Parts: sequence; C-alpha cells; structure tokens
Amino acid sequence: MPETETANFGTISFAPESVFEFPHGLPGFEDRRRFLPVQHAGSAPIVFLQSMEDPSLCFTTLPIWVIDPQYRLHVTEQDLELLGFPPDRQPGIGADVLCLAVLSIRPAGATANLLAPVVVNLKNYKAVQAVSAESGYSHQHALFPEEVAAC
Amino acid sequence: MLIMARRQGETILIGDDIEIVIAHIGRSRVKVGIRAPREMTVVAQEVQMVGDENRAAAEAPSPAVLQSILAHLLPGAHTFSCPADEESVRQDAGAKN
Repeated sequence: MPETETANFGTISFAPESVFEFPHGLPGFEDRRRFLPVQHAGSAPIVFLQSMEDPSLCFTTLPIWVIDPQYRLHVTEQDLELLGFPPDRQPGIGADVLCLAVLSIRPAGATANLLAPVVVNLKNYKAVQAVSAESGYSHQHALFPEEVAAC
Repeated sequence: MLIMARRQGETILIGDDIEIVIAHIGRSRVKVGIRAPREMTVVAQEVQMVGDENRAAAEAPSPAVLQSILAHLLPGAHTFSCPADEESVRQDAGAKN
C-alpha cells in the first residue's frame, strides 16, 4: 500500500481508491485537491481530512448527522455537476454522499461549518465543499452552545 | 452605499475596467455577469467567509481539545489516545455517514 507523510499522524498507509478528490480544492485552499479521510480508533466519529499535498494541512470534521440529524443539503447545480450527479435533485446523505462538517476550534468553543459542508460522492469519491448561501445555516454553528468555554 | 436601479440586460461600470451586467432577474435571485481584470478576485461573499473559516479550521486541535469535543459527543466514553500514536491510526474511507 502507498504511504503518505502527515504532520499529525506520522506516516500512514492508504488505499489509493479511498482518496477524496476535490476538483477545485476548498475555499482558501484551491490548490489542495486530494484528501485522505482518517479515522482514529479513539476519536470516532471524528473524521480527519488529511491533505495528500501538504502534510501539515488537516481538517477536523464530523459527519453532519452527528450535529444535526435533520440537516438539509443545498448543493448548487455547479457542485452537483462536479460531483457527477444530475442537476435536478439533491443527493441523499448516507445513501449517495458522505456529508462532513468542518470544525473550527476557538477559545470560545468549537464551531461547525454548516453553511459549507464537505460533500463526497460515495460512488466516485469526488468531493466539494458545498457553499450554499440559501441554506440559512451558519458557518460558525456552536457545537455545544450550553457551554461558555469548551476549550 | 450607492444604490442604482437597473433592468435586466443593463450594465454598471466601475472604473475603467470593471463591468457588471444584470444578466437575469428571477423571482428570488439575480444573475449578475462580471467582467473584471483577471488578477482581480471575484467571489461571492459567503465563499470568502468559508475560505476564512477554513483557514481558521486548518490546524489540527490538540489532543486535549479533541477529548473535550468527544466527551460532549459521547458522554460516558473516556477512551482516547493521542492522534500521533501512529499504530492506532486507521485510515477508513468508508466512514459512516
């Protein structure tokens, strides 16, 4: 199995077919196209998205259903096309796509970006960070609103 | 803020080299065409917001912070080992969703 260097996990081996391919990168990281989903036995259900091109770039994500079981996807037509879906219907979370919310950790607490979830086509592993202004979701959704300072 | 009323197909000029065309007016959204020099970044505001948020999110949290998140997610579970513990890292593309 091929291996990749990472800053957080050391050298890890991976199955080449399990790499997520972001054809346009992610906002702010447009030239980072290939990410490896990494799950750590002790930190499930957290999924780390490790860049294959930058060992020090690693996003911490949670499957969106963990945060909001009723979450409604709003993937734009362009993003549906990038993912390889027809433009006329939203893919099903779990059935068609993996949907991950990127976490930000700040002194005031952890937030999840529900405005722009990472959406991965489970058939071809094409991925986009689907920004949807119309969804009404926050890019800084407080994970644990009852707590003033989580960290 | 300068407010201008424009009809579909009409154009606004900004300086010498930026042109904004009201391409289509729909029920709840407007399609806007923008012609600007290539070196000028043109993005929807929320895309820039997400870019800023991604830059803030791009650092892996410390084990202690991760543990506090997990403690919230999985009350009662206290098993956690450092992510740098290479052997226990499992690459798993079939992450459940």
